Amino acid sequence: MHRRVLLATAAAMLALATGFSGSAALAADTYPEKPVTIVVPFPPGGSTDLLARKLGESIGEQLGQPVVVENRGGAGGTVGANYVASSDADGYTLLMGVTGSNAISAALRDDLPYNPVTDFDPVSIVISSPLALVVNADSDFKSVQDVLTYATENPDTFTHGTPGVGTSMHMAGELFGLKSGTKLVHVPYKGSAAALQDLLGGRIDAMFGDILVTSEYINSGRLTALGVTGTQEHFLLEDVPTIAEAGLPDYAAFSWQGVFAPAGTPPENLAKLYDAISTALGSDDLQSLFRERGFLVEGMTPADSKAFIASEVEKWTAVVDAAGLKK
Amino acid sequence: MELLEGIQTGLLTALSWHALLYCFIGVSVGTFVGVLPGIGALAAISLALPLTYYLDPTDALIMLAGIFYGAQYGGSTASILLNLPGTATAAITCLDGYPLAQQGKAPLAIFVTAINSFVGSSIAILLVMGFAPVIAEFALEFGAEDYFAVILLGLVAASTLTIGSPFKALSMVALGLLLGMVGTDVNTGQFRFTFGFFELADGFSIVAVAMGLFGVSEIIANIGQSQSVIQKVGHIRFRDMLPTRAEWRQIIWPTLRGSGIGSFVGALPGTGPGIASLMAYATELRLSKTPERFGNGALEGISAPEAANNASVQSAFIPMLSLGIPGDAIVAVLMGAMILHGITPGPNLINQEPQMFWGLIMSFWVGNLMLLILNIPLIGMWVKLLSIPYHLLYPGILVFICIGVYSADNNVFDIFVVLGFGVLGYIMRRTGFPATPVLLGFILGPLLEENFRRAMLLSKGDATVFFTSPISAVFMVLSLIFISSVFVPGLRDRLARKRPEVVEDPE
Repeated sequence: MHRRVLLATAAAMLALATGFSGSAALAADTYPEKPVTIVVPFPPGGSTDLLARKLGESIGEQLGQPVVVENRGGAGGTVGANYVASSDADGYTLLMGVTGSNAISAALRDDLPYNPVTDFDPVSIVISSPLALVVNADSDFKSVQDVLTYATENPDTFTHGTPGVGTSMHMAGELFGLKSGTKLVHVPYKGSAAALQDLLGGRIDAMFGDILVTSEYINSGRLTALGVTGTQEHFLLEDVPTIAEAGLPDYAAFSWQGVFAPAGTPPENLAKLYDAISTALGSDDLQSLFRERGFLVEGMTPADSKAFIASEVEKWTAVVDAAGLKK
Repeated sequence: MELLEGIQTGLLTALSWHALLYCFIGVSVGTFVGVLPGIGALAAISLALPLTYYLDPTDALIMLAGIFYGAQYGGSTASILLNLPGTATAAITCLDGYPLAQQGKAPLAIFVTAINSFVGSSIAILLVMGFAPVIAEFALEFGAEDYFAVILLGLVAASTLTIGSPFKALSMVALGLLLGMVGTDVNTGQFRFTFGFFELADGFSIVAVAMGLFGVSEIIANIGQSQSVIQKVGHIRFRDMLPTRAEWRQIIWPTLRGSGIGSFVGALPGTGPGIASLMAYATELRLSKTPERFGNGALEGISAPEAANNASVQSAFIPMLSLGIPGDAIVAVLMGAMILHGITPGPNLINQEPQMFWGLIMSFWVGNLMLLILNIPLIGMWVKLLSIPYHLLYPGILVFICIGVYSADNNVFDIFVVLGFGVLGYIMRRTGFPATPVLLGFILGPLLEENFRRAMLLSKGDATVFFTSPISAVFMVLSLIFISSVFVPGLRDRLARKRPEVVEDPE
């Protein structure tokens, strides 16, 4: 703590000194001259909040300015994203965006007041995380193949619970139906906990769930993981195949989190932030967080992130259109 | 034996000096945010959470949990003294608490709620200690149709027995139900009645609605008053707080029933203390031989809901600690705090982290004792608040309400919402429309709809599911009995004698 305060003070004095002597040409070099805010579009305590705080701490140390995390929850992350989209594009207000707020919502909604593609300059897609297709341990479904067979023979019967319309869990289910030519029944809840409750109670067939949360139930023998939605096996769930390996080739879906700035932010500031994020990702603190939470490190450059977002929006738009979900 | 071992482990943890310190900080902060109108446990815990990143996980959890249940103690104080609920869940306590204060019985009322709170918490903690896994497994048996039936019973019980004009009360329940429709349709993701206000995508915030209708409207109603509520507060003697023998008898059963209802409702994920206190109040009103006293300062009217909301808060830990399922938004934040300390609550928590599990539960005892000891001497101080002149007190309270509403989501829009509901609440007062039924419809309506539609989705549109599920069937039959008791002549006559007279417009 002390070190951070000292660093921040030293940097502030430095900034002040260069500010006095500096010229306009130095403007970009002085960024950041004041605290940077990262908006987390969810209440505190979730994985996005935790990532933003750990990341913010490291970025702050490196850039010599405190990074403040501000929680602006609501409407699946879109309220916070909207706030950042309409903030000044100076690099002092950033968003910890997620799959829902920065890609799926673009595919799903016409009535969104911001455009997830054109209203943001991504700094970096920081991490990704696949989901796990889980069923109750007492369920008759023992493999992805069982699910495929059942869903093919009984259309509109196999139920999967999600934390809501337009979440990455929902999209993973829709993609599953689309790729396999089957129709699953989407059962939306208000949040993962309620869906998990019904899965444990045996009232829904399956969930495409967060790996960390479901692994607790898998280890205690309450749930069985049939497959992971990523392109390779996941270290928290050994011996669980990918859904693609298990019978649905080409299937891949995962959620991700990244840092976004409002569109028009000076590229020098984006570059500075990106460098700080890259360095942060190598730190022991964040590495251990990633292992604990089951995150896969991405650390994409601003340019790669921009291309990635475009591809995600395209991918989910195709799914939304095919499933007829457009609002 | 296992239980005794657990208690021993837990006591060792909960009685360490640092655990005691953080517990004390938690319950003190809880009491204060509970008393301050507008700033509730959710806002306080959200603000405190980042501060706990550097604490030992058990200490952090003990402190955050302390804020949560501490706020339930404090919540009733402002309801009684000022007719302003300190927390959204204490709104119902205004109904009888404020009339008691007007009769000069504020110290007694606050003392009684402290006792109710303690009893309610204690009963629920005993349940958590002895039966948490069993209760959690039982709660898993509740499907969407069962939730629907329980909530329907709550709505029916409460709305057939409201104080005052039944027409006005029912029309206000309907208004509440309509207000609850605003927001995102859970099944389709469509925005409903948001009128282009993106901020309404999650609907009106419960804090904004409760604080507007009950808090801001009270402030508006008192504009122009220049004096304090009471001119001079004499020295408050302990004797003034103690209930008489007859009063003790009056509150024993309501307290126990409230504790039972609260423990049950709290253990069901997705419900919460607001529903618990509404149901407890409705039950007392229904069972009372003298329902006309309700709304005019009946001790039962504060005992039952206060016992219920405290019990419900403690039993809300049951699904979280034994299954990893958070029952409401506040418990979800607490669970987030555990996860960010590297402990993911799940079915193995009791075995994997016995020190944390038992430490937390034993800290509930410590915390509740602290609250009891803390709250009784504070009664005198709170009552003295009444001697602050209106023109100083109310602007201050208004500021706190705005801060509290804003800090929930850092959203300015919510401040306009609370002010809007304040104006609505004021108009309702002037025209004699009660605010409680609005809150009832607003809280229960969305749950009713969500579970109804989910039940229909899972049963493929077969409505008989509400009667073929045994749990649902029992509650549906109870609802039918309630409804028919209003229409079947013999019962209606008996009820008519029991029904309270139309209460005069308070203005």
